[in-house]
Amino acid sequence: MPHFTRAKVLMYGFVSLWSLFVMLPLLWMVLASFKTKRELFMDPLGLPGTWTFDAFERAWGVGMGAFLLNSVIVTAASVALIVVVSGMAAYVLARSDSRWLRLVYLLIVAGFAVPVQAVLVPLYQMISGAGMLNSLAAIVLPYAAYGIPFTTVLFYAFFLDFPREMEEAARLDGCSRIRTFFSVILPLSGPAVASAAIFQAVFIWNEFVLALLMLNTPDTKTLPVGIIALGGEFTSDWPAIMAGLSIAILPILLIFVLAQKYFVRSLAGLGK
Amino acid sequence: MPGATLAPTVPIHTADKAKRTQYSARVSALILLAPALGLCAVFIFIPAILAILGSFFTFGITSRAWEPAGLSNYAKVIADPIFWTALRNNLIIVIGSIVFQVGIGTILAAILDRGLPRASTVFRTVIFAPMVVSAVAVALIWQVILDPNVGALNAIIKAVSLTPPQLGWLGDPTISIWVVLMIACWQYTGFMMVLILAGLQGIPKELYEAASLDGARGLTAFRHITLPSIRNVLLVAVLITTIGGFKVFDLIYATTQGGPANATQVLGTYIYLQAFNLGNMGYANAISVVLLCIAVMLGWLQLKSSRRA
Repeated sequence: MPHFTRAKVLMYGFVSLWSLFVMLPLLWMVLASFKTKRELFMDPLGLPGTWTFDAFERAWGVGMGAFLLNSVIVTAASVALIVVVSGMAAYVLARSDSRWLRLVYLLIVAGFAVPVQAVLVPLYQMISGAGMLNSLAAIVLPYAAYGIPFTTVLFYAFFLDFPREMEEAARLDGCSRIRTFFSVILPLSGPAVASAAIFQAVFIWNEFVLALLMLNTPDTKTLPVGIIALGGEFTSDWPAIMAGLSIAILPILLIFVLAQKYFVRSLAGLGK
Repeated sequence: MPGATLAPTVPIHTADKAKRTQYSARVSALILLAPALGLCAVFIFIPAILAILGSFFTFGITSRAWEPAGLSNYAKVIADPIFWTALRNNLIIVIGSIVFQVGIGTILAAILDRGLPRASTVFRTVIFAPMVVSAVAVALIWQVILDPNVGALNAIIKAVSLTPPQLGWLGDPTISIWVVLMIACWQYTGFMMVLILAGLQGIPKELYEAASLDGARGLTAFRHITLPSIRNVLLVAVLITTIGGFKVFDLIYATTQGGPANATQVLGTYIYLQAFNLGNMGYANAISVVLLCIAVMLGWLQLKSSRRA
């Protein structure tokens, strides 16, 4: 069937072309970080003459380690806070038919529509007024808040389908609602927790505008704010800039490739 | 009969107990709800209200006192050509992203779902990968690739003896916003593809088999079965892209900072510029309210369309 094969070739061609378009910039970034300044200037497309880690050392010297550590702390703390706080709220909301709590649910959902760019001025004034500028809490708390609406919706749907027998048993044993949540519900919500955690982690790890606004000292900067300073740090030292970006990007790409199924499933949840 | 005398006390006792458990249930419900409500109130709702209130005042980094300004900030917004440039750029990114990200995303998803199911995981992983990278890093990589001196793109263009733009890809105000749009497509088309792929996988295979018996294959099947079945997913994809297009900040800030000469300014970067570089916080709030209204409207649409799903 010649028609069939031609269609197949076209389809492979299109998908391969887009994949190349996606991969080449990343590949070029890695190659450029192994080159010398001179090599990159003389021959932007060539392979490095000798593979050296000099550019990586220069980039690491501006504090990439601290940025990485801050990003890990901020992401872990925010995600943990989001999961627990949204889980608690969603549990109460999913187990109630009170009209007031229905309103509370709608209010929390409405928070999803407010973009952080539209409240930058008041947020900045509140946080600087509280003397919290240049502390990781200045972004962990807002990150947690902005993660709550979507996560609450996600958990709400999950808890509606959650078998009630387990809860009844816990309640008959004299467990309070709070204890039931922490010792029965949360431990059995693995899939929902993982999905919510991956989703929020991707956005928080990469969040930029709040971090830019709140974190100005080198010891508190997260990766996105840290790498934006690379350009100023290394005027025309492009290999060092590319090496810094490689340090920032490659670990997260590696984690993604290893767990791509979970990432894809979690992020596709936004479309539901 | 002791039972008869005891009988009336029992309901009273249980009613009391029921009241007490109801009370403690309310307290624990409140304790469980409080952190979520508190965080949302402090960091989402109160700032939103303050932004609206603050848009009727003049204040800034240097003049901390709020001076009543009536509607003058809004009058300034309407008369400000840079505001309209910013809004136009947001619209360019929104419409361009819908056409290219959702469009190409749909084509890629359809090919992976029906055409090349075996190779789909590898392709899906590669094409989706930029979604997990920070937009700042993406912007910086592209900035170097597009650099007139060391960039790979000009090297390629010169190698096939064409001439790249004289002012540089991001330095030429007539093309810079389109270059930024291209970078956004590089990053987010894979995300759209994955959203749509999830929708495609829900279409029963029998539909295609039945259509194939009627002679509808390939593009005909795509038009008459695939597209109608994922109409709702496409709507959600368009809404997510639209909201994202109005919220764009990182990519612009890290490539052009809104330049050259405000040619790539968007609402997000313009709010930031007015509030934190020029110190016009009241005015920045008025622009914020415009963005807030757009976002809330779109968010409401998204909520409605996702419930229908």
